[in-house]
Amino acid sequence: MASKANRPDLVVDGKRLDGRAMDELRQLKIEANVLKNADGSAYLEWGRNKVLAAVYGPTETQPKHMADQTKAIIKCRYQMAPFSSLEDHGRTGPNRRAIEISKVTKEAFENVVMLNEFPGSMINIFIEILQSDGGTRAAGITAAAVALAGAGIHMKDLIYAVSVGKIGEHLVLDLNMKEDNYSDSDMPMAISPRNNNILLLQMDGEYTGEELHRAMEMAIEAGKTIGKIQRDALRSVYTNVAEKYESV
Amino acid sequence: MKEIILPGDLVSDKPIRNSYTYIEDGKTYSMVLGTIEREPLSIVPLESVWSPRIEDTVVGIVTSARNSVYEVDLRFHGRSIIIGGKFERFSFNVGDVVEATVKDIEEKRTIILSYPRLLSGGTLISVKTAKIPRIIGRDNTMIKQIADKSKSSIIVGKNGLIWLKGGDIALATKAILTVQEEAHVSGLTERIKKLMENGER
Amino acid sequence: MEAIGDIKSGYIRELLSKGLREDSRKVSDFRSIKVAKNVIENAEGSAQVDLGNTRVLAGVKVILGEPMSDTPNEGTLAMSAELLPLASAEYEAGPPSPNAIELARVVDRGIRAGKCVDMTSLFIEEGKSWNVYVDIYVLNYDGNLFDASCLAAMSALACTKMPEYENGAEVREKRVKELKIDNIVTSATFAKINGGILLDPNGNEENAAAARLTVATDGKFIRAMQKGLSGSFSAKEVEEMADMAMKKHDELKRRVMGA
Repeated sequence: MASKANRPDLVVDGKRLDGRAMDELRQLKIEANVLKNADGSAYLEWGRNKVLAAVYGPTETQPKHMADQTKAIIKCRYQMAPFSSLEDHGRTGPNRRAIEISKVTKEAFENVVMLNEFPGSMINIFIEILQSDGGTRAAGITAAAVALAGAGIHMKDLIYAVSVGKIGEHLVLDLNMKEDNYSDSDMPMAISPRNNNILLLQMDGEYTGEELHRAMEMAIEAGKTIGKIQRDALRSVYTNVAEKYESV
Repeated sequence: MKEIILPGDLVSDKPIRNSYTYIEDGKTYSMVLGTIEREPLSIVPLESVWSPRIEDTVVGIVTSARNSVYEVDLRFHGRSIIIGGKFERFSFNVGDVVEATVKDIEEKRTIILSYPRLLSGGTLISVKTAKIPRIIGRDNTMIKQIADKSKSSIIVGKNGLIWLKGGDIALATKAILTVQEEAHVSGLTERIKKLMENGER
Repeated sequence: MEAIGDIKSGYIRELLSKGLREDSRKVSDFRSIKVAKNVIENAEGSAQVDLGNTRVLAGVKVILGEPMSDTPNEGTLAMSAELLPLASAEYEAGPPSPNAIELARVVDRGIRAGKCVDMTSLFIEEGKSWNVYVDIYVLNYDGNLFDASCLAAMSALACTKMPEYENGAEVREKRVKELKIDNIVTSATFAKINGGILLDPNGNEENAAAARLTVATDGKFIRAMQKGLSGSFSAKEVEEMADMAMKKHDELKRRVMGA
């Protein structure tokens, strides 16, 4: 979080700088099955974020000693492309931030993937942030869930993620990069929409108990929109093929 | 086309056992991306990971041969083996393509194969295992049609590997991949028939 | 899965002995080529190339820095490549593999030798220059990464818009001025299989190949070459491939220049 002293006005006349209302998502587009070689994949644009997620597996666990003979293991790698940010040229390879995000992402998916069906195996999730504009971990999880379903991996639910932050006295949904840089709080969450259980939760800044409650409500409400876009992306892979013949 | 369901979708307010659902608090939910018919309940996954069943025909490649035990690569996450011996008539080399039948599955991760047969020459293609039933077709009609018209020998493994030899392999491959893409769309048999006759759609 | 690769290689060789290719191309045909430019707005330049089922994304970042001490009146150009694990089951996460390093260096050599980027135009003032980073991201592998990457890198550079330099700092809000491009280099890669030579090998063909040659050219000169794998070519074969690469240049150059 950058210093608040030189913070630009992020909220003017009840609207955010990009014209959104406090509880409004940025535009979200998802396309499923975009990569030929992967078992499942998804390309997502969320605001100016551009994210590619792919799933390989279940396959034989490598290295072998990491295999769990009672269930499958999930490996996850989140990475930002060197050209993904406006200001810098990033170095390739995982840094501490990316390693942490990979870990909490993996743990969120361990909650919903039916790991017992493929004992001894490994499921690989790769998330590449091609362009970043705030909220990339949420975007990565939302894309990876679509890739997992498209890979035919059995799951309890199609999970999504979104962030709720705080700017001054306002709670704001789905912060972009600029808002994220100057916000007073940020709280990314991954949620299982079937029961609204929270599978990933990180937070820093300042929330009252009441604000925390409202923030979680906002994330759950946003899930209705996000979930519909995820589902439509998967459905359209098959309905598009069908329409080619059935509409005639 | 049929209704599509996704992981987490409610299938029924009552508990119903099915290979592609799970039950929680007395309700039934889907754990796959698939098509559903509700009365009576039938779910067909649109994508899937192969779960071996006894008597499945598989196609694989011998990756090691030691003391009459052959390890076979079936694109399966566990181990697959053929056990030979002096009373058996077969013997394989590393790199051989074989057709075999699943005899037993131990703890979901070791497959014991029986009735192995060498498939010499030819090539392999890999397909999505969820589409294998459509590629084979009811009473083998689909694959027989493709094999007859292309004059190729074709063996379909439930594990998603298909062996082809002779004839017009390019045409046979194109037909198989079309079935894979369009398996869920009605009128498939007619379209494949046309493809095999005209060489294109 | 390597075992499958061997079986497919056998089939590729058998086909080729009858003068045929898996996807019914002629030996001197490229697969279909698609180039999409400016797909990553945060980057100063970018291009995604589809060469058949091979997909490569190149991004260019232009960063304020210092000239190298041996070229004090020029900016710098650096090229890297990553074979992302999402591109193939065979690729692993980790530090760049020898294959990734070779890929970046071969693309770099062609573009550098062709003097494609006007390096003096990157000089700002004493001790200050623009440093250009080209990152090649392999998103899906189906053979011939060299030509797809060269096309992606060249196309990304050709649409690169420069940041402004104001009061000693870089300003990215208005990126209007184009990076000065003096020359266009493209490459053609050949595989030798069973003694026959074919252009633009796909993944299965690359697997079956005994030898590989990449020729980068600007249509007038041969600008870089790289021979790969353990097989060999005759001098005559090399000349024929160089000739073919020059012939293919115009077709590829149009892709680089296209909107």
